[in-house]
Amino acid sequence: MTAGLMALVSRFGVTAPAWLWLLPLALMPLVASSQKRIPVPSLAMVPADGLSRLVDAVLTLAGMAAIGFLILALAGPHLVGESLMRTGEGAQISLLIDRSGSMNETFAGRQPSGPEESKAAASRRILEGFVGRRAHDLVAVSAFSTSPMAVLPMTDRHDAVRAAIRAIDRPGLEATNVARGLGLALAQFGPGAPQASRVLLLVSDGAAIIDRRVQPTLREEFAKIRPTLYWLFLRTAGSPGLGDRPAGEDTPQAAPERHLDLFFKSLGVPYRAFEAESAQAVEEAIREIDRQERKPISYTERRPQRDLTGFAYGLAALAMALLLAAKLAETDLAVRASASRPAASRETRRAA
Amino acid sequence: MIPAPLARLLGHTRGRLLAGALVLTALTGVAPHLAVTGQRVEALVVIDITGSMNTRDERLDGKPASRLDKAKAVLRGLAASLPCGSRLGLGLFAERRTFLLFEPIETCADFAALDGALANLDWRMGWEGDSRVAAGLFRAIGLAGDLGSDLVFVTDGHEAPPLPARGGPAFEGKPGAVRGLIVGAGGHTPSPIPRYDDRGREIGFYGAEDVPHENRFGPPPPDADKREGYNPRNAPFGAAAAPGQEHLSSVRETYLRGLAAETGLAYAPLDAPGGLAGPLTAAATPRTRPVRLDLRPVLGGTALAALLVLFGLLPWHVRLRETVSRLGHGA
Repeated sequence: MTAGLMALVSRFGVTAPAWLWLLPLALMPLVASSQKRIPVPSLAMVPADGLSRLVDAVLTLAGMAAIGFLILALAGPHLVGESLMRTGEGAQISLLIDRSGSMNETFAGRQPSGPEESKAAASRRILEGFVGRRAHDLVAVSAFSTSPMAVLPMTDRHDAVRAAIRAIDRPGLEATNVARGLGLALAQFGPGAPQASRVLLLVSDGAAIIDRRVQPTLREEFAKIRPTLYWLFLRTAGSPGLGDRPAGEDTPQAAPERHLDLFFKSLGVPYRAFEAESAQAVEEAIREIDRQERKPISYTERRPQRDLTGFAYGLAALAMALLLAAKLAETDLAVRASASRPAASRETRRAA
Repeated sequence: MIPAPLARLLGHTRGRLLAGALVLTALTGVAPHLAVTGQRVEALVVIDITGSMNTRDERLDGKPASRLDKAKAVLRGLAASLPCGSRLGLGLFAERRTFLLFEPIETCADFAALDGALANLDWRMGWEGDSRVAAGLFRAIGLAGDLGSDLVFVTDGHEAPPLPARGGPAFEGKPGAVRGLIVGAGGHTPSPIPRYDDRGREIGFYGAEDVPHENRFGPPPPDADKREGYNPRNAPFGAAAAPGQEHLSSVRETYLRGLAAETGLAYAPLDAPGGLAGPLTAAATPRTRPVRLDLRPVLGGTALAALLVLFGLLPWHVRLRETVSRLGHGA
C-alpha cells in the first residue's frame, strides 16, 4: 500500500515548476477572509460557539485550497508515463536491403515498363505490408551497395520503418558488397534483450564474394548474436539458382550466390534461403517468415503521461464554490437585526 | 430577474471577484483549447559525406570537430527544435548522386529513430570519392520535388575534381519550384583534408600533389595561350601541372550562394546562431497544421489574480481605509 503510494508520488511531475514558487501565496487566507467585514463594537457581543469556529476553519481551508490548486494547475501537474513490460508475438528484425542498381530491374532483368514491377518496387510493396502486419516487432533497416549504410536504428516506430522501406525503389548504386552489409546489420541488434528472438532478413538480387579475411570476423559475430538468418534471393529469370553448380570450376568467383549460400549454411545459425523469381514468390516467402517468427517476445509499452491539470482546476473550482456558497449565505447585521442563526454569527465572529 | 442573493453577491466587489474566479476556473474544464493553425516544416535533409567533410575546421562544444560531426549535431538540434507535426527525411550526397535513406518522418513521434539515424551518419557510407556538388544538388532538388517536400542540402561546396573552365553544369529545373536551404559547412581559412586508407584508418592529410588542381575536360580556359609550353594541339592547357589550393578546403560560400540564387534556394551557414530552425522555417514552403492553443493558463492565471486581489489586496485596502476614517473621526 505504502509502496504503491510511494510509486505514485515518484511518478508525479510538473511541466512548469517555476509556478510553484507562488505556493506560499496560498497562506493568505490565514490572515484575511473573503467574507464581508462587519463592524461590531465589541467582540464580547458575540458569543463564542464551536460551529462558527468550524465554519471559519473550513472557509479558510477552502481559500487556501482555491489559491493552492490554481497555482498547482498552472504548473501543469501530471503523472509520468509508466513503462510496462508486456509479452506479445514478435521479434527484433534487422532488415538488410540490397540497393544496387540491378534491384531497379524487373525479375526478367529488364527496365520496368508499363505494369511491370521492378524487384525493388515489389520488395518495397511486400515488405511494407510485412512490417504493417507485425505490431510488436522492433525493426532496424540497413542498406548496402558499394558500402553499408545504417538507415534506421532498432525502433518500434513502424511508420518510420515504412518511410525507410519506401525509399528502396529509388535509384540504387552500382556494386553489391554483402560482407560489410552483413556486419552492419548484425551491429544493429545492439547489446540489449538477448532473450528476444532475432531475425536478420537479407533481401538481395545477387551476391558477392565474401573476402576470406572477413569471413572469420563475420562467423564470430553470427556466433555471438545468433540471429535466425533469412535470405530472400530475388532471382532474375535465367540466372543460376543457389543449388546450380557452375559448368566450369566451382569457385566463389564463378558462382557467388551458391557460395554465399554455402557460407550461410556453415555459420551454425538457423538459416533458410528463399529463391523468389516473381513478386508472388516474394509474397509467399515473406508470409512463411511471418509464420515462423511468431514467438513470444517481451517488449516495453510506454503509457502516455496522465495530465492532472484538469483535476487540479476542478479542486480549485470546488473550493471556490464553497467560498461562494458562504458568500451567498452572508447576512448584513444592519439589515437583519435578528442575528440569532448560527450561520449569521460566523461572519461577525470572523470579522472580529 | 436575478434572484436576490445573486444580485446581492454581484453587488459587491468581493462577490464579483469570487464569482468571476469561479467562472474562469470552470471554463478551463469546458473550453480548454482554441483551435488555431501553426507552421510546420517538411523537408528532405541531404548531407554531403564526401572526403572534404572530414576537415576538422568546425567547433563543437568548444572543441575542434569535423564538418560532418558538426553537421550531425546541428541537424539533430534542428530535429529537436522544429514544432511537432514537422517532417524530415534523410539522404546522402557523394559523387554526383543523392541516395535516399528514408522519406520524411515525423520529428516528434519518430524522434528517436530520426535522431539515431542522424547520429549513425558516417563518411564510410560514401560510395565514390568524387564530390560534384552542383550535380548532386540538382539531383537532390529533383528528389525533394518528387517527394513533395522542401530541401536542406548540407555541403561545404568543395567541388572535386574542380569545375572545368566553362563552369559547372546548368540547372535545368524551375528555380524556386523546390524551396529550402543550402547550408554551408566549414571554416573560412583553408584547412588540410584528412586522408584515409582503404580500411578506413586515418593516414595523414592530402598533399598538393595528391589532387588535381585543374579540370582538363572540355575546352581550355581563354588565357591558356599565355601559359608556359602552350601548344594548341599537344598542350592546350600548358605544359606544367596547374598549381592550386585544391588539397586544402574551406567553405565555398560565394559559390554556394551563387548556386542558391540559381536554384531559388536560400543560403545559411552551418554555425548560424540559434540553429537552422529559424532559417529553414523562413525559407520553407508554408504548411499549416492544426494547433490546439491551450487557454487554461490564461483562464487559470486570471482566476488566480482575482483570488489574490480578494484575499490579499482588498482586506488590506479596507483596513487602511477604516484606519484613515477612524483617524478622521478622531480628529
